[in-house]
Amino acid sequence: MQTLHLDNPICLVFPAQIRFLVLIILCLYLAGCDGGLAPPPPAEFGFSGTVYFAPGSWPPTDSLVSIMIFASKIYPLDSATTVSGLFSDPPQIFVYPSMSESLRPFFTDSLSYVFPLRSGTYKYIGVVQQISSDVLHSSIRVFRVVGFYKNPANLAQPGNVIVNDTSQVKDINIQVDFRNPPPQPF
Amino acid sequence: MRGSVTDTKTQELLTGVNVILRGTIRGTVTDIHGKYQLNEIPAGTYDAAFSLVGYTADTVYKISIQPDTELHLDEHLVQAPIQEDQVVVTANRREQSLREIPVSVSTVSSKMIADHVSVTLDDALRYVPGVNMMQDQVNIRGSSGYSRGIGSRVLILVDGLPYITGDTGEIPWETIPMFQIDRIEVVKGAGSALYGSSALGGVINVITKEINEIPEVRFRLFSGIYDKPAYAEWDWSDKTRLNTGGFISYSNRIGPFGYLLSVSRMVDDSYRENDVYHRWGLYSKFNYIFSQYQSATLTANIQWRSHGNFFWWKSLNDVIRPADSQLGGEVHSTRGNLSFAYKEIVSDRLFYTLKAIYFGNFWQDNIYDRINNTAASHTTQVDAQATYETSPMNVVTGGVVANYDRIYTNIFGSHPGAGAGFYVQDELTFLHSVKLTAGIRYDWQRVWKEIFASPAASSPSQLNPKMGLVFSPGPTTTLRASYGEGFRYPSMSEFFTSVNTGLSQISIVPNDSLKPERSASFEIGGSQWLSDRIVLDLALFQNDFYDLIEAGVNPQFEIQFKNVTRARIRGFEFGIKADMFNRLLTADINYTYIYPEDLSDHTILKFRPRHLFYASVTAQYGLLQTELGYRYVSRVEAIDENLVRFAPIVDGDVRVPCSVLDAGITYNLTHLGLPLAVGLNIKNLTNYSYVELLGNLAPVRTIYVSVESAW
Repeated sequence: MQTLHLDNPICLVFPAQIRFLVLIILCLYLAGCDGGLAPPPPAEFGFSGTVYFAPGSWPPTDSLVSIMIFASKIYPLDSATTVSGLFSDPPQIFVYPSMSESLRPFFTDSLSYVFPLRSGTYKYIGVVQQISSDVLHSSIRVFRVVGFYKNPANLAQPGNVIVNDTSQVKDINIQVDFRNPPPQPF
Repeated sequence: MRGSVTDTKTQELLTGVNVILRGTIRGTVTDIHGKYQLNEIPAGTYDAAFSLVGYTADTVYKISIQPDTELHLDEHLVQAPIQEDQVVVTANRREQSLREIPVSVSTVSSKMIADHVSVTLDDALRYVPGVNMMQDQVNIRGSSGYSRGIGSRVLILVDGLPYITGDTGEIPWETIPMFQIDRIEVVKGAGSALYGSSALGGVINVITKEINEIPEVRFRLFSGIYDKPAYAEWDWSDKTRLNTGGFISYSNRIGPFGYLLSVSRMVDDSYRENDVYHRWGLYSKFNYIFSQYQSATLTANIQWRSHGNFFWWKSLNDVIRPADSQLGGEVHSTRGNLSFAYKEIVSDRLFYTLKAIYFGNFWQDNIYDRINNTAASHTTQVDAQATYETSPMNVVTGGVVANYDRIYTNIFGSHPGAGAGFYVQDELTFLHSVKLTAGIRYDWQRVWKEIFASPAASSPSQLNPKMGLVFSPGPTTTLRASYGEGFRYPSMSEFFTSVNTGLSQISIVPNDSLKPERSASFEIGGSQWLSDRIVLDLALFQNDFYDLIEAGVNPQFEIQFKNVTRARIRGFEFGIKADMFNRLLTADINYTYIYPEDLSDHTILKFRPRHLFYASVTAQYGLLQTELGYRYVSRVEAIDENLVRFAPIVDGDVRVPCSVLDAGITYNLTHLGLPLAVGLNIKNLTNYSYVELLGNLAPVRTIYVSVESAW
């Protein structure tokens, strides 16, 4: 039987068994803890609109993996800022539906969309085409911008879209012509 | 007769030791210096019993008291690390060792209440195995669901007398004198065969302290600081929010007359908006000893309270703000009881008690200083009980009860109610290791729309049996089995409520054809000592419920109470108590599994969690005590979606498991010559956010400092 020296400080008196018991309780606590209640994420109204595709411009299926809408708080972009914008915390570039999903269906004249986003100013909104599924080893450009939301006052420049927490911004329409893409930002 | 009681091993003077002259009504407890005194004992020969939770009870036989002579008797008690010989009174209406009882019983001592800084009784019950609280609604092994203060399927007794309001049939937790509690006994399973209505899922008996023989002043002060909620989005107040309170009492005995006077005050700013709470309380107890065998006790208790309305949150975005409809609402109440008890020991074999209680409950709720609802209820009950030991192996207990209730309200109407009952129980011991108990109780109860007008609301009479068996094959093993039935008469509010809730556009309509809820409990279990330091306890139980009353929404969007549910709750409860390293550390770990099935539609019964896990570890080092407690209550699987939808409680269906860690440290300064104990407690140490009740965030992390003294 273990002898206890009661004149020692508590921390020295507590043998391994006691610490083990405390450890059990803490483990049980952690096991049962799922983080508890939390406020719901802020409502994301974002923006909505229609993507119009130039008639007869859809590329062949072997170069059409997916199409996505992007919204960037950064403009202009280059390769480095695109990567950091996508993977920073919080992100500065958002993709809809997601990096692994595509807008559907293909080969249509237009697609309506709703892009839920947190409030902020989005300086560059457009449509990106994924050409190949081999993102890492492809020798060709995998992603290319095929259309963007234009500044009504200067059609050569992207238009700013200000998203708030109270309503959805509508009519963010984008023209896409796969045969005549705009200048690439990266 | 005077002396002191010490710990055999440490020679520490022991406070709170019960000293009783057996066969008489005389007794006292040791003071903070471990001393006791019993005055004016007639000459004779007595057996003096000494007992204290945590120590093995001891009896000094045949002490001789001579005329006009003082006897000095010092006693030494041996530590019994686990409460092996603890005496309880609730299970069979008489004092018995826990090991003689065929049902599961848990106890909470006054020390545990003080160590946890439990401000109200419901808070003190949160670590009791098999019990879980839905805010202020008590649930024993799944017996209760969501009733929001209407009706209780657990019976609360104070010193053996029912303590439930006459109008809503709820438990007035805040009026129970927490600072005067000696212990709480929780009996699990149906108990109507001895206690009548409301003992559907169990009985909780609050036993108050006896008056000391020598003058004593006691006080306890506490102050808690609420931390900020876990998320900044929920924060709503820049003010430091406190929960502060305390009491002071004085007791003395002058010859045969003993008295105790106490005043208490509590102010709780709350961590939530419109949830402020103020309370004054007066408590007094008077005792007169007619002779060695006769005594009478009168207790008066009154509480004044005002508090804000917080029925449910505004939304998950605003969990500590109430819904807009509750803003500006507050409730003022005056509640109190006057109770009387007379006890006489007629012979070595026969004693009887006469008890009576009046409980008055007056409240009104205001909305921005405009009186909205008012209610007054008066409840009176008398109880006469005799216990006769026909032989050393057979004890018979029987009694009669009667009650009269009267309510005057603008929401339930004005109604009288009356009832009567009688019960008898026989406990037979044979072969020195088997104890068989059988009992039955008959109850008659009526509630009228007008004074004794016909017809009465539907309340069929009830006959409830009980049976129990305890078998002790050896000194370290106890096996038990029991069967009992229970019932609950509908409260007047369930019969007669007719009101617009004021919280929504929904009306509540009366239903005077309600029938009593009924239950049948079956339990088998046992306890096994693995050594003199470790004891295991296992119980398997099945509780059947019939005609459970629930508030439903009818096609006219009206709420009405109806007998709708037939349910069965099965489960098991496992507990281990361990004492290690010469009591340096004690651990108490309990798990309860409940499978609550609604047999009406074969779904999970609403508002019942499946898993309860409570663990506490206490380390005692000299006069320093530290405690770590953990509570886990699994997420309630099924709720009443209609309630959430129609109330409406925005985000009311959001719920998570309860997973709470509490910690405390207490230091006793008596060795410095100061009769003081100081404590630091942190409740909800990790500031975990959870709900016990729909739309109600449970308390955030709160840090309490407390001081207690007696001299």
